[in-house]
Amino acid sequence: MNAANSSQWLQPAFNDPVLDAQTSFRSALKALAEPGVAQPLNRALALENLHSATYALCLAFLDSDTPLWLASRFDTPAIRANLAFHCGCPIVAEREQALFALLDERELADLSTFDNGTERYPDQSCTLLIQLDSLSGGSALRWRGPGIKDVRCVELPLPLVFWQQREARSAFPRGLDAFFAAGEQVVGLPRSTRVLLNAEEAA
Amino acid sequence: MNRDRPHSNLQHSDPQIATRQRWMGVLGRAGGQLAAYESALKEAEYRLIRAPEIGMTLVRGRMGGTGSPFNLGEMSVTRCVVRLADGRTGYSYVAGRDKQHAELAALADAHLQGAEQQHWLSRLIEPLTAVQQAQQAAKAAETATTQVEFFTLVRGED
Repeated sequence: MNAANSSQWLQPAFNDPVLDAQTSFRSALKALAEPGVAQPLNRALALENLHSATYALCLAFLDSDTPLWLASRFDTPAIRANLAFHCGCPIVAEREQALFALLDERELADLSTFDNGTERYPDQSCTLLIQLDSLSGGSALRWRGPGIKDVRCVELPLPLVFWQQREARSAFPRGLDAFFAAGEQVVGLPRSTRVLLNAEEAA
Repeated sequence: MNRDRPHSNLQHSDPQIATRQRWMGVLGRAGGQLAAYESALKEAEYRLIRAPEIGMTLVRGRMGGTGSPFNLGEMSVTRCVVRLADGRTGYSYVAGRDKQHAELAALADAHLQGAEQQHWLSRLIEPLTAVQQAQQAAKAAETATTQVEFFTLVRGED
C-alpha cells in the first residue's frame, strides 16, 4: 500500500506526541507493576474499532523494530494505514514473528504459536494487547505474585480456555505478558502472576 | 546535489511523481520565503495529521558520487502532514528546525495536488524557483571569482 492510496485513512494520533506517549507508557508500566489494577489510559482518540486505551498502547509501544500481528477484526485499511504512519511498525502475517499481537476476545482460544521467548532471552517474547468490551463482569479469579500483596480478586471477562492456554505457554522465565484494554483503561497481566483457577490452590 | 536538473537520476521515472518531487524540493528550500504566502495557504480549512515535529536524520554520501556510501553526519529536519477539508493530504520534510516552514510547505503540497494545481504552480512554485535559481546563479558567480587556474609549462624536451 503506498502513501498515495492510504493517506485518506490517516487520523491525528497523540496531541502531544512526546508527553502523551510517555504518560501512556507510564500507565502501561504501572499496569504491569500492579497486576489486576485498572490504570487510566485516555491520551489517544479511538480509531475505528480500536478503543482509546488500545490505540494508546499501540502508539506507545510500537515502532519500526516491533513486528505486529493483527487479529482479523483489527485488520482494516484504516488501522493498517494509521499504525504504519504513526508507529512505522511492520505488520506480519506469521504469529511466530510478532513481538506484539493485537487481539480481541475471539482470538484467545489458541495462543500456541506466539513466541514466548527463550531461556536466554525471555524478554523477546510476544506481548499480547487484548481488547475487551469491559474489564469486569467475568468470574472472579484470585491473582497472586509480584506486585500483589497476598491475593487480588480480578473479574476479567475471559473464557477458561485463555487461562489454560496461558498456563500451557508458561515456563518461567519464558511466558506471555498481556495487557487487557477496554475503553480508557488498561489492566496488566505479566507472566510472573499466578492465577488461581480453583479453590484448593488458594489454601 | 541539484534536484532541479531535468534528467537527474534522483528524479522518479513516473512524471507525476517527478513533478511532485520538484515542487517539494522548491518548497523545502524556500525557508522564510513561504511566510509571504501564509494567508493564502491557510485560507482553506485544514487539520494537522502530524503536527510539525523536529528530529534528526543521518546524511550519507558517496565519495565522488560513485564510491561506497559513508555516513557524513546528522542534520536536523522538521516534518509535518496536513489534511485539507476535501481530503487531500500534504507532506513535508524540510531541513532545519522551522516548524512554520514545515507546516506551510505541507499545506502547499496539499494544495498542489488538487484541481487548482496550475494556479498554485504559477503563483507559488514558479516565483520561488526563479528566486532560488537567481540566488544559486549569484552564488556560483561569486564563487567563480575565487577560482585559481593552474598552468603547467611545457618544458619542450623534444
